[in-house]
Amino acid sequence: MPLAVGERIAVVDSDVCDACGLCMPLCPPEAIHMTRRGLVVDAAACTGCEKCIAPCPVGALAMADVRG
Amino acid sequence: MSAVDVLVVGGGPAGCVAAWEAAAAGAGRVLLIERDRAIGAPVRCAEGVGGAGLREFLDPEGAPWVSRRIRRMIIVSPDDTEVRLAERGIGFVLDRTRFEPELANRAARAGAAIRISTEAVGLERSDGPGGGRWRVRLRGPGGEETVTARVVIGADGVETMVGRWAGLETRVAARDMESCAQYVVGNIECDPDAIYLHFGPGVAPGGYAWVFPKSPGVANVGLGVVTLHGDGRTARQYLDDYVARRFPRGTVTGATVGGIICGTTVKRTVADGVLIAGDAAHMINPLSGGGIVNAMKAGRLAGRHAARAIREGDTSARNLQAYHDEWMKPLGASHLMYYKLKEALNKYDDDFFNRLARTVNRIPPDKRSMARVMATALVHHPSLLPIAAQLFAREFC
Repeated sequence: MPLAVGERIAVVDSDVCDACGLCMPLCPPEAIHMTRRGLVVDAAACTGCEKCIAPCPVGALAMADVRG
Repeated sequence: MSAVDVLVVGGGPAGCVAAWEAAAAGAGRVLLIERDRAIGAPVRCAEGVGGAGLREFLDPEGAPWVSRRIRRMIIVSPDDTEVRLAERGIGFVLDRTRFEPELANRAARAGAAIRISTEAVGLERSDGPGGGRWRVRLRGPGGEETVTARVVIGADGVETMVGRWAGLETRVAARDMESCAQYVVGNIECDPDAIYLHFGPGVAPGGYAWVFPKSPGVANVGLGVVTLHGDGRTARQYLDDYVARRFPRGTVTGATVGGIICGTTVKRTVADGVLIAGDAAHMINPLSGGGIVNAMKAGRLAGRHAARAIREGDTSARNLQAYHDEWMKPLGASHLMYYKLKEALNKYDDDFFNRLARTVNRIPPDKRSMARVMATALVHHPSLLPIAAQLFAREFC
């Protein structure tokens, strides 16, 4: 189900992310992808479950509001 | 569009050995691709490996890819009580920037082609006469191209994209993910012939901290934590605190982070024309977090079964299932046992580990074998009995 404005999704801080890939298999809808520029969260697929946030070894993931 | 018989995705220990074994077993055209610019780097690993498992693949005597030979294991309790286990040849700390290239070179000598800076970006199944093929989109320095393969071996680590694309269930529950951080630390005092394993929820909840020597005065110092059991700190914050306390005068010259899946092997490791091996299939000892030898053993099996299936002209999941069964018999089952032990140990607090360490230290050092340690621990800490019972039931039933 697509998220509406005001809901929260995971975002990656690319300055902090080490691109280790740990978060990828933790994501239930498999919404985190490795790209040439590092890890990105597919905002349309993220369900806001927060399962990826705490395990990140460097704290590069955080929840943020969906922008309209 | 080029065609290969076996495409191996990922140039770690599982992928390199899979390519080596597939080529040696006569699988035909074998291509190994690695996304990074170098096979073996960046290192996301503590680099410790058991001697017996390693020797099944390469001879470590005088090898340039060995950093240190390990003669002792020192278990450290939360209050820093050290328990030295009986001296014997335990294993090695590798230099993985040299170790993986050695494995890749063996694969190449057996006939496999190796391509670096090349990643798989998608798979598509096509059926045709003589069995199905995978059309794999590759992206490399020369742009995108499509390669067809009879068998794709997914040795792509914790990300395990090949498994996902083939419809295998490779997701991980948070309780089974160890978040790891490691520094290369110099100017430290520690036994250069020993590995240190430091336990306790205050040090590394759900995991442990390690000190693996690289050379005298230099070690990989790291830890793995299950953040569900933690206090909100990230793995790197736990490590910063650990290094500041244990090695206040140490010099950090390198840093890495990563995830170790400390669960049990995924339920299905095969699909039509696909095998997954190593970290990608969660083939890690869940108690120790050790994955290198497991990955090599899985890669060897995957390479053999890929070659067999191609020879037999049947690369269906049903015919590849023997790979999964052969892995599960000795290794999958023992990992299940280690998983139960790990879960049981998670219930104990720092005080328990401190008392256990002092009990074990009453055994004379030269008699401190694993069996004796276990027996003494049981006599003085009967609460360990259910764990031991689980272990032995698994071993003998």
